[in-house]
Amino acid sequence: MALAINNPFNDIALSNYSTSTNNSDDHRHLAGNWNYSSPIVDWETFSGTHNDFLDVFDSTICIENPPFLTEDRDEEDEFKGLRLYHLLIAAADAVFGDHKSCDLAHVILVRLNELVSPSHGTNLERLTAYYAQAFQDLLDSAPVSNKTHHHNHHIHHRDDHTPTDFLAAFQLLQEMSPYVKFGHFTANQAILEAVAEDRRVHIVDYDIMEGIQWASLMQAFVSSPSAPHLRITAISRGANGRRSIGTVQETGRRLVAFAASIGQPFSFHQCKLDSDESFRPSGLKLVKGEALVVNCMLHLPHFSYRSPESIASFLSGAKSLSPRIVTLVEEEIGHGPTIDGDYKVQFLDSLERYSAIYDSLEAVIPMKNRARALVERVFLGPRISATLRRIGQRRWSTAAMEENCLWGEKLEKMGLKTVKISFANHCQARLLLGLFNDGYRVEELGNNKLVLGWKSKRLLSVSIWGSSTSSSSSSSLSDSE
Amino acid sequence: MIKLVPPPPSNQQATLKNSIFSLPNQKSLFSYLSLSFLFSPSKMTIEETGPDHPSDHILDWLEDSVPFFSSFLDETSNSSSINCYQWWDENQDTGEDLINGCLSNSPTTVVSTRQPNTPTSHHLPPSDLTKKRKAPDDSVHKKSQTHQNPRKNQNNQSKNIADKGSGAVEGVTVIKKSVGNKKNASKSTGNNYNNGSNKEGRWAEQLLNPCANAIVKGDATRVHHLLCVLQELASPTGDANHRLADHGLRALAYHLSSNSSSSSFSSYSSTVSPITFASTDPRFFQRSLIKFHEVSPWFAFPNNIANSSILHILSEESNRPRNLHVLDIGVSHGVQWPTLLEALTRRSGGPPPLIRLTVIAPTVEHDQNTETPFSIGPPGDNISSRLLSFAKSLNINLQINRLDIHSLQSLNSQAINKSRDEILIVCSQFRLHQLKHSAPDERQEFLQNLRKMEPKAVILSENNMGCSCSKCVNFEMGFRRGVEYVWKFLDSTSAAFKGRESEERRVMEGEAAKALRNVEGEMNEEKGKWCERMRNVGFERKRFGEDTIDTARASMRRYDNNWEMRMEDKDGCVGLWWKGQPVSFCSLWKLGIKSNAL
Repeated sequence: MALAINNPFNDIALSNYSTSTNNSDDHRHLAGNWNYSSPIVDWETFSGTHNDFLDVFDSTICIENPPFLTEDRDEEDEFKGLRLYHLLIAAADAVFGDHKSCDLAHVILVRLNELVSPSHGTNLERLTAYYAQAFQDLLDSAPVSNKTHHHNHHIHHRDDHTPTDFLAAFQLLQEMSPYVKFGHFTANQAILEAVAEDRRVHIVDYDIMEGIQWASLMQAFVSSPSAPHLRITAISRGANGRRSIGTVQETGRRLVAFAASIGQPFSFHQCKLDSDESFRPSGLKLVKGEALVVNCMLHLPHFSYRSPESIASFLSGAKSLSPRIVTLVEEEIGHGPTIDGDYKVQFLDSLERYSAIYDSLEAVIPMKNRARALVERVFLGPRISATLRRIGQRRWSTAAMEENCLWGEKLEKMGLKTVKISFANHCQARLLLGLFNDGYRVEELGNNKLVLGWKSKRLLSVSIWGSSTSSSSSSSLSDSE
Repeated sequence: MIKLVPPPPSNQQATLKNSIFSLPNQKSLFSYLSLSFLFSPSKMTIEETGPDHPSDHILDWLEDSVPFFSSFLDETSNSSSINCYQWWDENQDTGEDLINGCLSNSPTTVVSTRQPNTPTSHHLPPSDLTKKRKAPDDSVHKKSQTHQNPRKNQNNQSKNIADKGSGAVEGVTVIKKSVGNKKNASKSTGNNYNNGSNKEGRWAEQLLNPCANAIVKGDATRVHHLLCVLQELASPTGDANHRLADHGLRALAYHLSSNSSSSSFSSYSSTVSPITFASTDPRFFQRSLIKFHEVSPWFAFPNNIANSSILHILSEESNRPRNLHVLDIGVSHGVQWPTLLEALTRRSGGPPPLIRLTVIAPTVEHDQNTETPFSIGPPGDNISSRLLSFAKSLNINLQINRLDIHSLQSLNSQAINKSRDEILIVCSQFRLHQLKHSAPDERQEFLQNLRKMEPKAVILSENNMGCSCSKCVNFEMGFRRGVEYVWKFLDSTSAAFKGRESEERRVMEGEAAKALRNVEGEMNEEKGKWCERMRNVGFERKRFGEDTIDTARASMRRYDNNWEMRMEDKDGCVGLWWKGQPVSFCSLWKLGIKSNAL
């Protein structure tokens, strides 16, 4: 690993960028067929886990109780995995299908809960347990009519966890996986490149969370020859937006203190969303001569749920301000011409996605570890719930078709231009992933998007967008200064 | 268990590496921060920009993280080994459960430890003779005394109670009352189900019917998927839905394996067969039938109607004593006749000089599992001798003939040895639907022959549902109808046994489930069609006597409140309904005017 850091370019040059572009189409094809006999879940990744374990043995981690991986064990796991897979699909059919049946769904969930537990067993078994829980939540809160679905957001498990649990899980997630870092690093790198000539930078951040993304950016700023002044406006939710780590104000205080400690000129502001979580651009305080940066981190494992309506209003509002650059992190959902409203494809895609995430976590921390259980409980469980809820909303709401494409595509439709991902940025992402596990892949899509994947499954993308130069008033102003 | 890596060395690259594999310590948490500017455009070379300095500040953000983590890690190290074994154990348990499940599923020879039915007793058999059970038995007995006198329902009821007061000890009356109270209490819940085609709570058919659909469509992957799910949820001992899933799964697998050369469905079809009549011990078989009569009107109701009708018809005859000849084409296996015999002794003129009972036994032509449900008893079952000695004890002259004929449609007066002066009454229950109704129309042939026998009356009881044969519907629809039938049976039987598991319950259910396995053979017709057929061959529908109706209505009180008796004013038939859905119908026929002219 140290070698890789010393010679990063050799590594990159040899691997020749994207290695996994050809796989995603196969998955889409399978998913579209709702294929039962050959499950979408990549069984190879399950049966192949012992290889990853062996890798782990060689590393600095010492496991006292090696997993029992005999031949029989594998076969049995696989057999059970198939059973779970069929039950999960049947549950999806019962909940989302044309003939919705709560009775059938309930019986399936009872059976699943007999078979699995969120804290024991293989990846798929634990994952299944969280799916079962998510289905249960969905049934318990089932909006019989579409009108009520907005009120379901409060059933968010994340809020059920103590701040200590949340903190610990977040820390572990950072250590175990590149998901958070990948998003933050790539976005920050793009920002650094976009404002390299500017003396004043204003970042509007849709979901600032604990603000950890900006600490690293500040460090980069102060170490550059002409450290620009940085202003961050955090978009905060209305009074009902509970958070697990402090409040936006606390985040602001920390950032101010941190900036002061490293000598970064900095100021912090807040802009509240309306009560319906829509964004009013007029609420922003804009200063002439500032390079405007819009940062929108969605779907990172630890982020809280935001309604599509809120995201849409933020992005369109932000676009109207002609920002220098928009950095967008979002789930790379499987999509295609046939996906519209097809819950089956969406469900299989989610199953595939979370299986990949579980696998990727397992590759670093073995499966019986308490730490992983915590990350799964605090972040992935709620995420799975949110995913199923979203599938349900698309399924049951009549005007949901448009929600179903990537936000990046919407930005493009709004008229934003792609901003090329730099070679350096790509290298940085590769280097980062290289620190974790061979299973992680990065590929460039279009010319403005980096996608993080696990093996053949695309998981998370960072895309960079900019206003067209002609309409970019802020940049021309800064030039004249 | 994971050993913590020692605190990171001062070298920055090492810190980065270790931070990935070590569990968090305070230094590594934000160590990645330094990465971000490693590749900033102006600084593509790696620099030793000390991360320690800013990290310390950042750490201050997250209060109390260090103490928490130490305890968290302790927990991890203590519990991980235990978790491993729990995981193992759990899986082993699951495996054993599967095996046990199979074993408990196997056809066990039921050894009756209870007393055999003494044919001399006119009571229902001594099963678990708790007082609770005795009370209803007793009430039937009393009712049978009263139904020969035509009365209004209310009168009948008061007579019933009066009888009790005089003949029974007070305790029995009290129990009777308490039973009544229980019924009233359950009425409120029971009525919830009576909303037409309410499908709530019926999940098994939501897997079975789509599977039949997928079979018809040839969608093998979906068939496989649904069978897998069914296999997970099916249970021979669960609630009605679990049982329906179990029987349905077996039937589907049977269908698939018998219609294809591939053995891919053998894993499903290898599940052991359910208990059926033919696989039981004769004594247990009889006990099961009687127990079922006790708790469910499925057969008891048509039997009751038939017996009352026979008595009513006899009462309409002239005073000149004539022999009675009952042609039994049914599935009661003799269980219905003791009540009739006993009632006959109570009629004013006494029993007929001779009672002839001609039982048309079904013959096993093929696999008995594909025969009409409830029609085939176990080998060695011989109720005749018991009935005979019972009749003897009542001083009734009873003659029983058992006819093993190959086809019902070949029946005629010679075959049953009909004599000129006797009163011939045909009692046909749940058997005629096995006759083909087209090409060749065996059903028509049979009914015409029946007409030629010139019976005094025909009491026809059949399932009130559509045909499942391949000439009428495709497999999916036929199976769907079978599912509907078996569901009603399982659901009502579950209520009848109050959800309790018993061998008697399982044998009855296993027998009903034949309808799923033999979808093609269930050539049912709806009530209107049967009536049309009867009219076409020259029968004329008659209304049941008032006493018959009263007795039948009274008999319904002892059963679950979801049962209903429905009078059809239009056609004079009597329907038996479960949860607002028709189950069976009873109809009474005599020779039409047309026949008199012949």
